[in-house]
Amino acid sequence: MSIVLYRVDERLIHGQVVIGWGHQLRPDRYIVVDDELSASEWEQDLYRLGSGDVDVLFSTADEARDRLPEWQASKLRSILLTRETSTMRRLAEGRLMDGEHVNLGGLRHGPGRAEVLTYLHLNDDDVRDLEAMAAAGVDVTARDLPDAHKVSLETLSKSRWKSSS
Amino acid sequence: MEIIQLSLLGGLLALDGTSVGQFMFSRPLVAGALVGWLLGDPLTGVAVGTILELYLLVSFPTGGSRFPEGATATVVAVAATAVTDSAGALPLAVAVGLVWGQLAGLSVTLMRQLNSRLVPEPGQRSSSPRDIWTAHLGAVLVDFARGALVTFLGVIVGRAIVGGLQGPWALSPAGSVGLLLVGGAASVGILLRDLGGFRRRRTVFVAGVALGIIGARFL
Amino acid sequence: MRRALTRSAVASAFMRSFLIQGSWNYHTMLGSGFAFSMLPALKSLYGSEPDAMDAAVQRHLEHFNAHPYLAGVALGAALKLEAEGADPELVRRFKLAVRGPLGSLGDGLVWAAWLPGASVLALALYWMGLPGWWAAAVFLVVYNVGHIGLRFWGFRVGLSEGQLVGRRLERANLARWTERLKGGVALLVGLLVGALLAGDGGLAASGVLWTVLAACAFLAGLIIGHRAWRPAAVTVVAAITILAAVGALG
Repeated sequence: MSIVLYRVDERLIHGQVVIGWGHQLRPDRYIVVDDELSASEWEQDLYRLGSGDVDVLFSTADEARDRLPEWQASKLRSILLTRETSTMRRLAEGRLMDGEHVNLGGLRHGPGRAEVLTYLHLNDDDVRDLEAMAAAGVDVTARDLPDAHKVSLETLSKSRWKSSS
Repeated sequence: MEIIQLSLLGGLLALDGTSVGQFMFSRPLVAGALVGWLLGDPLTGVAVGTILELYLLVSFPTGGSRFPEGATATVVAVAATAVTDSAGALPLAVAVGLVWGQLAGLSVTLMRQLNSRLVPEPGQRSSSPRDIWTAHLGAVLVDFARGALVTFLGVIVGRAIVGGLQGPWALSPAGSVGLLLVGGAASVGILLRDLGGFRRRRTVFVAGVALGIIGARFL
Repeated sequence: MRRALTRSAVASAFMRSFLIQGSWNYHTMLGSGFAFSMLPALKSLYGSEPDAMDAAVQRHLEHFNAHPYLAGVALGAALKLEAEGADPELVRRFKLAVRGPLGSLGDGLVWAAWLPGASVLALALYWMGLPGWWAAAVFLVVYNVGHIGLRFWGFRVGLSEGQLVGRRLERANLARWTERLKGGVALLVGLLVGALLAGDGGLAASGVLWTVLAACAFLAGLIIGHRAWRPAAVTVVAAITILAAVGALG
């Protein structure tokens, strides 16, 4: 299995990912799945700057759905990143990510998002996305850094419900 | 009067640490020389500053606060060293400085939590340019006051502790420096690791050691 | 709509960038400092349009973070985008994309290489016999030539490239410079170790016991990294406390 980490993080490629996860997982490439970014060369240039020597591949969600089996079977170790829960949900639809783990690493911005963990803010749509992923066989947990405490989706939904009521 | 001068200097150096410029006057090496000059004892200032600089070789403000805050630690340590002639004054003052530097780092964290409540909220029409100007420069002023206050208290506590040093000191001056260098040596090792580790850097590192020994012996 | 950016507005943004961390906070980090740095320039661009001014101020208050010396890259580029009348959404996306790399490039280049390099050079010279205030002066001059040069370069590059600055930074290849610099700093670390071992005020004068203990601490740092710092410092502080107590009681 060679997507070594699926992560939702609005900051995409940054210190926590490159140093925190990268040094531990030793990826051969980062795959950023985002429709807007895959059409924007100047933004790709900026995100690439932060990855060190590791390759970065940008892909639309549709393209990613087609290539997911290939990436999963590839010898190259990939870290797959999206900046929205909705993008990751699209990848998981049709049980394409059955049995995989999705890591929630950082969300702050966005309409109606309320703090669930210091690094994680969720709105109702986000929660629906996460539940849909879980229903498609994905194990969803939150953890900013590899050594940090892992928080289950169940706990997240509960504290989200508390913070919004 | 002297303690007021020291506190003001502590406040200014605290600003240099993060808020204003970061020209690194706040590094112990420079801060030690400045405090020593202020107290008319530049040699002591430099002796304390260079040792604390070693300890802080691997303490950088990446994101969070620095532990310890080097500038506060240095001002407190140099000011405390100057109160007695005991051979134990320098090591004890450095120890007090290191501990007080941790408290100073904590005060930075607390101030930043306070700032989080005071800075204008983005997206709210109520924050005018004037509000931003006031909040930002207000925060700079608070940092200055924080640095001055933490230094002021540190100098009082440090001088009381070091001034109360009674009885003989078991180590020679060179032995005291040796003890302090043990802690500094850990920083030097950590730094070499951060630079790529011994295996990767051994050629340049070993060449450097040889040059250093030659330089120290013959210059 | 294209607006004219005056020289003095640009100059004041650069000067204010030295204060960009003045209201560092856990909520927006450098957000308020970024807005503060942009204010005079925004006033010169939007002075006669209160609504546009207000919107511009709000978008630059947003969460922002970067290495302080490289924050000028984003500041310069944001000035160019505002002057060109760029879509606010583009400005927002630019700032989101640029903060990560400006943080990691700056942390690597400045905090992990340039600062320890200047510091280790000055300390090595001190233990080789250079008077301490000269060592402090060497440190300040060497460090700040690089520091102020980097700020100035970054701000200019941002101002001239705008949102395309990624390509320019890629060409400048700061990561490779950092790597080379780290090799140079490793040499200086060797120089410092040599000077500490053989210099007058160093371990040669302190005796074999302290030299051996210092070597152990050095190895501990080399092997386990930052986790070695606190135990080493605590041990030294504890030893000094015990010596003081023994002196007072005995």
